[in-house]
Amino acid sequence: MSELTPALLWLIPVAPLLASIFIAFFGKALLRGRSHVPCVTALAISTLCAGSLMLMFLAAPSQLKPDPNTNSLHQRPSEHALQPVLTTPGYAWAETADLNVRLDLQMDAMTAIMLCMVTFVSLLVSIYASGYMHGDPGYPRFFAAFALFVFSMCMLVLADNYLTMFIFWEGVGLCSYLLIGFWFQKPSAAAAARKAFVVNRVGDFGFILGVFLIWKTFGTVRFADVFELIPHVAETNPGIFTTICLLLFLGAMGKSAQFPLHVWLPDAMEGPTPVSALIHAATMVTAGVYMVARSTPLFVMSPTAQMVVSGIGAITALLAALTALTQYDLKRVLAYSTVSQLGYMFMALGAASVSPKLATFAVTAAMFHLFTHAFFKALLFLGAGSVMHSMGNVIDMRRFSGLRDVMPHTRITFLIGSLTLAGCPLLSGFWSKDEILVALFEGTKAGGHETFFMVILGVAVLTAFLTAFYSFRAYNMTFLGEERFPEEAHHPHESPPTMTLPLFVLAGFSLVIGLFLGPTGVYARQLAQSTSLPGHGDHPHNILLMALSAAIFCGGYGLARWMYVKSPAVSAGLERGLKPLHRLSLNKFFLDELFNYLLVIPVKVLALLCTLFDKYLLDGLLNFAGSIPSTIGRIVRPIQNGLVSHYAWVMLLGVVLFLIQMLRALAG
Amino acid sequence: MHDIGSLVDQLVESTKTSVGLFVPELVLSGTIVVLLLCRILPLVWRVPTQWIALLGAFTAFGWTLSQFDQLVTPSEALQVKTLFTGLLKFDEFSTFFRMFLSLFLILTITLTVLTGIPDREDAPDFYTLLIGATIGMMIMASANHLLMVFIGVEMTSVPSYAMVGFMKGRRQSSEAALKYVVYGAGAAGVMLYGISLLAGLTGTGSLPEMAERLSMIVAQGQGISDPTNRTIVLASLMVLVGLAFKLSVFPFHFWCPDAFEGAAAEVAGFLSVASKAGAFALLVRFGLAFSGQSKEVSSIAFALGIGLGVLGAATATFGNLSAYGQSNMKRLLAYSTIAHAGYMLMSVSALLVLRFSKQAGAEADVASLSCIEGLMYYLFVYLFMNLGAFAIVALIRNQIFSEELDDYNGLGTQCPVLCFGMTICVFSLIGLPPMGGFFAKFAIFYSVFKATSVHWVMWLVLAAGAINTVFSLFYYIRILKAMYVKPRPDGARKVTYDLMPVGLFVLMVCLPVLGLGLFPARFSETFHHVASLLLTGR
Repeated sequence: MSELTPALLWLIPVAPLLASIFIAFFGKALLRGRSHVPCVTALAISTLCAGSLMLMFLAAPSQLKPDPNTNSLHQRPSEHALQPVLTTPGYAWAETADLNVRLDLQMDAMTAIMLCMVTFVSLLVSIYASGYMHGDPGYPRFFAAFALFVFSMCMLVLADNYLTMFIFWEGVGLCSYLLIGFWFQKPSAAAAARKAFVVNRVGDFGFILGVFLIWKTFGTVRFADVFELIPHVAETNPGIFTTICLLLFLGAMGKSAQFPLHVWLPDAMEGPTPVSALIHAATMVTAGVYMVARSTPLFVMSPTAQMVVSGIGAITALLAALTALTQYDLKRVLAYSTVSQLGYMFMALGAASVSPKLATFAVTAAMFHLFTHAFFKALLFLGAGSVMHSMGNVIDMRRFSGLRDVMPHTRITFLIGSLTLAGCPLLSGFWSKDEILVALFEGTKAGGHETFFMVILGVAVLTAFLTAFYSFRAYNMTFLGEERFPEEAHHPHESPPTMTLPLFVLAGFSLVIGLFLGPTGVYARQLAQSTSLPGHGDHPHNILLMALSAAIFCGGYGLARWMYVKSPAVSAGLERGLKPLHRLSLNKFFLDELFNYLLVIPVKVLALLCTLFDKYLLDGLLNFAGSIPSTIGRIVRPIQNGLVSHYAWVMLLGVVLFLIQMLRALAG
Repeated sequence: MHDIGSLVDQLVESTKTSVGLFVPELVLSGTIVVLLLCRILPLVWRVPTQWIALLGAFTAFGWTLSQFDQLVTPSEALQVKTLFTGLLKFDEFSTFFRMFLSLFLILTITLTVLTGIPDREDAPDFYTLLIGATIGMMIMASANHLLMVFIGVEMTSVPSYAMVGFMKGRRQSSEAALKYVVYGAGAAGVMLYGISLLAGLTGTGSLPEMAERLSMIVAQGQGISDPTNRTIVLASLMVLVGLAFKLSVFPFHFWCPDAFEGAAAEVAGFLSVASKAGAFALLVRFGLAFSGQSKEVSSIAFALGIGLGVLGAATATFGNLSAYGQSNMKRLLAYSTIAHAGYMLMSVSALLVLRFSKQAGAEADVASLSCIEGLMYYLFVYLFMNLGAFAIVALIRNQIFSEELDDYNGLGTQCPVLCFGMTICVFSLIGLPPMGGFFAKFAIFYSVFKATSVHWVMWLVLAAGAINTVFSLFYYIRILKAMYVKPRPDGARKVTYDLMPVGLFVLMVCLPVLGLGLFPARFSETFHHVASLLLTGR
């Protein structure tokens, strides 16, 4: 079995890549309406490979921490057990004296978990998309880009060095761009794609600078080598860590939509809904969280950077939750919710600075929330897509309501999703959110930044309440109340089984996965084997906090039910009563406008100036320079007049001149 | 007293060994005989003459290649020696050029097969002339004696005149040939005068001996004001005139645009590359013949080097400026050829300046290596890129019956392979990376830059080279603009090509251009090796 593992590992990214190439070349001519087949098949293969590798990891004795100095690994009792780190050699991509970049795959516990999640959710979403995208003229294009995305995402998490990670970081960004702008005929979609790309560029710039700095500082970009050299660098240059971490975090802010770079994500909802579910909720946007978690050994060296991470996470979580309160576009509510939940994860990641013992727990909490969030947020998005599918592509919640009878399957799964997101006790969202709260609570007790974490914890609790409220606001507005359809919906109907089946599977996972993996400690034990984590630490529990979050859930749920089901007049009254605040939230705190005035318009003016400069000054100079030779050419051309006698005369003149010059040179 | 017997023995011995090393030229000469027989013997007349010519060319190429291989790899198999009692030099440098020329012969014959420019009736004559000129160039490249210098130049020139006028029916062609003859005869006369003066003064024609004799003569005189010394300067200048004519250096370049425009593009391509290669090899040899202990002789060579640098800069500038506004492709490429000769001349100038400067030392020796290396690299790239450009002009002419730039409009979509090949060649001629032309130009400018530390004039030469590179961009791009940007006029003749032989040929010529740019290290190592062997004078 062990000879097979490298092949399995390579198969995970390669299968979708091959599918993508195949669809790209033959999709339009050959496959057309069957373009999803290679994609789904490849993703199924990847999922199976990832799953079987995960099982092998589970079978490995968990106390094994890799020790490069001993060869004890070979003498382990269990033959099938894997090393905690599985590295398969790829090929040397760039080899220079100072920098060796090999394209190797590395799989440790963290990668394994991410891979399982990515491949499994992609598989479900691709099945869903085969129904959702049915009949679209760009059907093959969609699946080609989709499979390419899964390839890039798998390579991103399989990367064993920062440079490879960056390459595929850009790769997922490209696929995201292609898929947001999938309906590029729509100006809004094209603009959204461009916005996503440009905003991400800001973050990526930080990331690549961080990678450069890592290379400069450590002389290598491999995770393992970098982490090994940390104690050495800590002695000579301890200040560098904060810079490195902040630069890396800037990259994470772009990709994971953290304030103030979060503005692209809500707009990205212009893409097809399966794309929103997979890329902009479950997988790609969590790459930033993954990257920071992967770099934990670097981040624990810089408490300052971690406080920034936490602080930004808290601001994002709160702002996004406040914005989500008043949005009427169902997908946008979910998008802001995603931003908010990502902020949650970063809050937890920042708490790793409290004490080394708590670091593993804090990162585990973030990664666990990432894991559960992927399932329930994908579920919610796919549910929203199902609604959209039925309502003739209308997604404004003011234009429909009471869909509970028309779409029973969508409704029940969406309800499960909302409950999970809101943090209903025993469902998966509850467990992961609770762990984050515990991690933050530990921060208020020790570590020297008690006040800071007190504020963060307060924000987290407030956000949890808002989350519960807006999830049920969305649910109530969509599925409860009197039955209304927009005129675009010709015959409101439940979606086909290809779409509802993934909904049910995801709903099932959202229900139980937290309970199975969270409180039992399976997830934490598994993740603790990752090379990026300092190892087993505390695993505190706090019954009081659990009770608090249950109470928060009930409060949010009750408020939403009261305002939007029992007495809708209250919500309208509140809207009028708090008009300025409502407008602030509805208009996303005017951040887009602020950016427009502060950044976009000045840049456009600058661009205009550059154009004028280029067009009139530079072009003028260039045209002038270009006209010099042709003018001189016109003057010299008559010498070549075709008369041999003339030629001979010039030749003689040349010899004489040359001779005189030489004699003079030799004499003088 | 010489013993007549031993002298005869010596001659016989020398001839015996020399003939063995002279086989490539002999094979080519044999090919000419066979080709001429074709006309007479009806039986042989059946065999297509181009195959006979190709067979001869391939044999010569294979033979020189193996000679080159054996010479470059350190072994005792072949040794550097002079042939025919010192008339020819057999070393790595000459063998490289002989190999280069026979490779070029193969490519040119292949091109003529594809374009069918000599018809069946004329083919034996045409190939006879072509091969004859090639032998002349090979002799130029290996000349070790003033006599062979002249014979080589004339053997190259006379068939060239005939080839330029080969399209007998065209008035333009005949006029071009006549001009070429008159001009060439003048230049040859001047050169012969110079050779006679040198031989008369030194009492020898052998190039290696010349340096010693010259230093003896100069030492006897009283500086430069001495009439004898002035005669030496004049004589070497006159020899240079002959070479400058072959290289189409300003102001001896006038024949070039007229001749190229009148000649077929295939012939123009052949003349533009091959005769330049031979002449540059000869120029390097002639320049190095001044090597010696004497300060005075060195200073003459140094002054010549500076002069050549100025001439190179003038040639490049003149060629590039005149290329503006040309509407005929062959004429445009003719001026481009002149400009490239200017660039290459700069490297020879840098070589002479570095080698004969007063502060010559180890550093200057290393730098002068890079001059020869750069020249060889440039010539090697130039072989492919210039032949490619002329070949594509010929191939397109066969389709649209025009060589005017305006008629190239919109060809990019109709014959993508040819236009792509042209693009590669043009980019390389401009000197854009990653084409071979970039590294070639870089190597030459690098060596000129090294020479700037010796004399300030070289700064001007370098600046002229750099500015010219920019200038040349404008008119080269016009070709691409016509092919790709401008629309094909309505009702224009449709261009269709069988992809197989033509595409393959274009690929064969253009891929090396790219390859030389992508993997320059291998080639430049070989050239460096050859250059070091030449300069150490082993």
